[in-house]
Amino acid sequence: MNGLEKIIQLKEAQMKNKFLEYFLLLARIFLGFIFIYAGAGKISDPASFSQSIQNYRLFPLEIINIFAITIPWIEVICGLLLFFGISVKENSLIISSLLLVFTLAAAISMIRGLNFDCGCFGKPSPIGWQKLGENSLMLLLGIILMIYDSKLLNIASKNENK
Amino acid sequence: MKISYKNILSILISAIFIGLFYNILNPKGIPLIKEKRELVFENDSLIHSIAAEKENLNLDSTLNSPIVKKTTEKKPDVKNEVLNQNKLTDKIEPFTEPKAIKIDLAYKLFKQGVKFIDARMPDDYQAGHIKGAYNIPFDGDERYREILNNFSKDEILVVYCSGTDCDLSIYLGREIFEKGFKRVYIFFGGWNEWLGKNYPIERGTNEE
Repeated sequence: MNGLEKIIQLKEAQMKNKFLEYFLLLARIFLGFIFIYAGAGKISDPASFSQSIQNYRLFPLEIINIFAITIPWIEVICGLLLFFGISVKENSLIISSLLLVFTLAAAISMIRGLNFDCGCFGKPSPIGWQKLGENSLMLLLGIILMIYDSKLLNIASKNENK
Repeated sequence: MKISYKNILSILISAIFIGLFYNILNPKGIPLIKEKRELVFENDSLIHSIAAEKENLNLDSTLNSPIVKKTTEKKPDVKNEVLNQNKLTDKIEPFTEPKAIKIDLAYKLFKQGVKFIDARMPDDYQAGHIKGAYNIPFDGDERYREILNNFSKDEILVVYCSGTDCDLSIYLGREIFEKGFKRVYIFFGGWNEWLGKNYPIERGTNEE
C-alpha cells in the first residue's frame, strides 16, 4: 500500500511539475515576445525613444542617447533568448532588472505629475496605473522565471531533463 | 542550476556592441551624445509691427474685435479672422521650422484672433484652456487631428501645452509644420503662464 501511495504521490508531483513547466513555457514566450516587440519598435526609431527617455527627466542629457542606442538591443536579444529558452535564468534577471527600472521611472513620473507617452512600445501609450500594473505583472513573471527556470522546448536542451 | 553572471555579462556586452554597431550603420542613427535642441525664437520686432497693425485694424472693425466675440458665434468670427489672417500673413513669411514665442507675442496674436491649439490631453483641455483654443492632444486619438483639414495652410497657428517644461507643443508644432502649415508658432510659456497673467480662458469643450 505504501508503495502505491508513493507512486500516486509521485504521479501527482509529476502532474504538478508538468503544469508548472507549461506555465513557465507560456510565461517565457509571452515575456520574450513582449520584449522583442518593444525593442524592435525602439530600434526602428531611436530618435523618438531618446526623446522618451528625456521626457522622464531622470538622466543627464549626455547619457540618454547611449541608453537609447543600447537598451532596445538588450531587450530584443534577451527577448529572443528567452523565447527560445536559452539561459532563461540569466535573461529573466536582465529583463526583470529592466522592468524594475522602467516601473520605478514610471512611478516617479506619476508622483511628479508628469504626463507624457511612456515610450514603452514605440507607440504612444500614456503613463498611468494601467502601465504600472502591466509592468508589475511582467516583473512577477520575470522573477518566477528567474527562480524556476524553464526547460520545456528549449533549443539547447540535451534531453537530460526529459 | 545557478545564475551565471558570466552569461549575463556576455549577453549585455554583446547587446551593447550590436546596438552601437547598428547605430553607426543605421541611416536614422542618433549621435552618441544628445545635443540640446534649441528653439528659435521669433524676434521682437514683430511684436511692434503687430501692435501697429492692431491699431489700424481696430479702426476698421471696432465692434468686431475677436476678443469680444464668443467662440460659439462662428460665422462672423471666421470672416473676421480671415481678414486678420490676411494682414498678418503678409507680415509673416513662411518659416523654415516652427518658431517659439513668448507670452507677450502670444497675447498679441491672440488678440488678432489667431487660432490656438492645445496639445495637452483632452482632460486637461476641458479643465481649462486658452479661450477659443482647439484641442489636438499630441498623444491622443488621430481623429482630433482632422480639425486641421478645416484650416488653411497659410494660417498662423499657435501651439501650446502646459508650460515651459512640457514638450507636447514642440512635437505637435513640428508635426503640424511637416503637414504643410508653414506658420506654426510654439507658445513656450504655455497654459501656466497664460493663467498666471489672467488672460482669457474658458472651460469645457469647444465643440458646438
